[in-house]
Amino acid sequence: MSKSNLEWQQDSTQNQKPPLSLQNVYVNYGTRKGNVQAVRGVTLDLYAGESLALIGESGSGKTTLGLSIVRLLASTAKVEPGTIIYRRDQREVDVLKLSTSELRQFRWRDCAMVFQSALNAFNPVLRVWDQVLDTAQAHGWSDRTAVRERFLDLLKFVQLDPTRVINAYPHELSGGMRQRTLLAISLLLEPQILILDEPTTALDILTQRTIIGLLRRLKEEQHFTMIFISHDLAIAAELADRVATMYAGRIVEIGKTYDLFYQPRHPYTLGLIRAVPTVLGGFEELFSIPGSPPDLVNLPSGCKFHPRCSFATDKCKQQEPELEEVGERHFTACWHWQDVEKELELHPIRRGAAKHDALAQTTVEVR
Amino acid sequence: MVPIIELKNVSKFFGHGKERVTAVDSISLAVEPGEIVCLVGESGCGKSTTGRMAAGLLPVSAGQVLFDGKDIAQMNRDELQTYRRAVQIVHQDPYASLNPTQTIRDIITAPLLHHKKVKDRTHAEKRARELLEIVDLTPVHDFMDKYPHQLSGGQRQRVSVARALTVEPKFIVADEAVSMVDVSIRVSLLNMLSRLKNEFDVTFLFITHDLALAKYFAWQGRIVVMYLGRMVEEGPTPRLITDARHPYTQALLAAVPEADPELAQHKRQIELRGAEIPSLLHLPLGCTFHPRCPYIVEGQCDVHVPRLEAIREGGSVACPVRKDESIQLVV
Repeated sequence: MSKSNLEWQQDSTQNQKPPLSLQNVYVNYGTRKGNVQAVRGVTLDLYAGESLALIGESGSGKTTLGLSIVRLLASTAKVEPGTIIYRRDQREVDVLKLSTSELRQFRWRDCAMVFQSALNAFNPVLRVWDQVLDTAQAHGWSDRTAVRERFLDLLKFVQLDPTRVINAYPHELSGGMRQRTLLAISLLLEPQILILDEPTTALDILTQRTIIGLLRRLKEEQHFTMIFISHDLAIAAELADRVATMYAGRIVEIGKTYDLFYQPRHPYTLGLIRAVPTVLGGFEELFSIPGSPPDLVNLPSGCKFHPRCSFATDKCKQQEPELEEVGERHFTACWHWQDVEKELELHPIRRGAAKHDALAQTTVEVR
Repeated sequence: MVPIIELKNVSKFFGHGKERVTAVDSISLAVEPGEIVCLVGESGCGKSTTGRMAAGLLPVSAGQVLFDGKDIAQMNRDELQTYRRAVQIVHQDPYASLNPTQTIRDIITAPLLHHKKVKDRTHAEKRARELLEIVDLTPVHDFMDKYPHQLSGGQRQRVSVARALTVEPKFIVADEAVSMVDVSIRVSLLNMLSRLKNEFDVTFLFITHDLALAKYFAWQGRIVVMYLGRMVEEGPTPRLITDARHPYTQALLAAVPEADPELAQHKRQIELRGAEIPSLLHLPLGCTFHPRCPYIVEGQCDVHVPRLEAIREGGSVACPVRKDESIQLVV
């Protein structure tokens, strides 16, 4: 494949306020059954050039949080209180206060989102090129040749055959090709932030690897600022600099990827890691988390994880813990994080690569 | 030992003439009683079709399916009924495979009564309670009168398993049975299935696209890798995972995203020559993997269809070029 000669104007990462700051964001959905508390007080800074993974099970609020950043929530959703501050070139705006026309400019140009289902994101009766042109023109970019040139370059970047894809209808492309085309379109207007919701879910393994490879290049070569939303811990392990675990609408733990995977301090993060097998990490004993995710209309009292938590005490039933610093840039919302630390000293999470070596050794001996 | 299920050169074609698709191409596979066999592969490789043929839900286009050594196509009515009861399938989507208008009680008692596993309704009720307990849906009285929509995905999948158990099957085909369930609950479902194997002598054919799950579930068993309707490699799970020989298996293992940052960093990347999977309508000649294979030998791979050949380390590989070459996947 030929390399594209794209350049992105990413702002320098030094001495700079984070491009995105969420302050105490709440999202509620009004339903017949009652008020669904999807996001409950999320505070988060996203730094320039970093990739952050939001992980959690279905119903943890991760997609709602992503959608609230680009203000694409259903009309039944109420985002208040809270502020979502976006910064670019000395400019600072509260996304939640933008007017409809300002929002249109903000989306895609400043902050682009790649959705979960790549087929539904396309208009099935338009060729790829027509959709690209529509997008460009809606954002005041009417120079057809310039748009076309840039898009062809982007298609090369995502390792697609540009002339074939540009004239194709969405149904003529395979799932992986669609996902890559979508990625190319999302980069068309040089956004500063890219939000990817389940970027590899429902794709075949070899296609997943291609997408991960592309996203790695965006991260390592272009220093793109990205948020990955996924239920799949592997996406976080493969791509993120920092990981945030969400449970019942809150961030319950956030820290650097290695810290979160090998030194988690929240029982839920630990539970997730111990529930997920690796492929090349040798034989692992896995444990599931008892119980099921909480009902978001009638949340449990105190810490929302306490009914499923083996560390829980009476205090957990009464008071909900706030995030506290437990290490360098590592925060956890758990009353008993020290007990988790002790538990990990007794039963450490063995590092995958080390395990693989040990396993390869034993199989050689057996022969 | 007589295999409980044996596929002999089984093929499945869909459509006719130019539109004919070979979904499964001459597969032979014997599953011993008590064994765990895992079929893995990407979408379109024929793993579900194979499972459905083994369960008798889909007639074969060519070849034979043997149950306890007997061809199911030659069975008389009684034998066929025994086979149908002995072999059950658990589907992927617990939202689609349970009747939304029936309570859990109806769903479980109907097959018990129909197959005359119990004398009357009272006994059916009692048996249904036992079955729900076996699949850990406790306290049972909380679940009996519920409808499927009132349950979570994981709970529904447990109901599907309890329903399969009503007829005391010997062989269960689990087709992506845990793929739609949240990660925190997946393991308990898998552990429940393992328990069934030990306590009730159920043999499993586990079908999944997820190699990590296959590894975990079938560590004591075997993994069979399929590509475009053919078996490309098969072997005891530990050997297949740590010392895969077929270039396709190696590519899959290298490509799977790992839920461990260190492994993710140290995994070797295998570059394939082509990214797109060929269409089943226009299958490549010879080895169907040759257009993507980094080790292609021209004049051999694009001409001859490779046969599965046994290797010393266990299992067999359909690649004469690479079957004796080990590679390190973690570097």
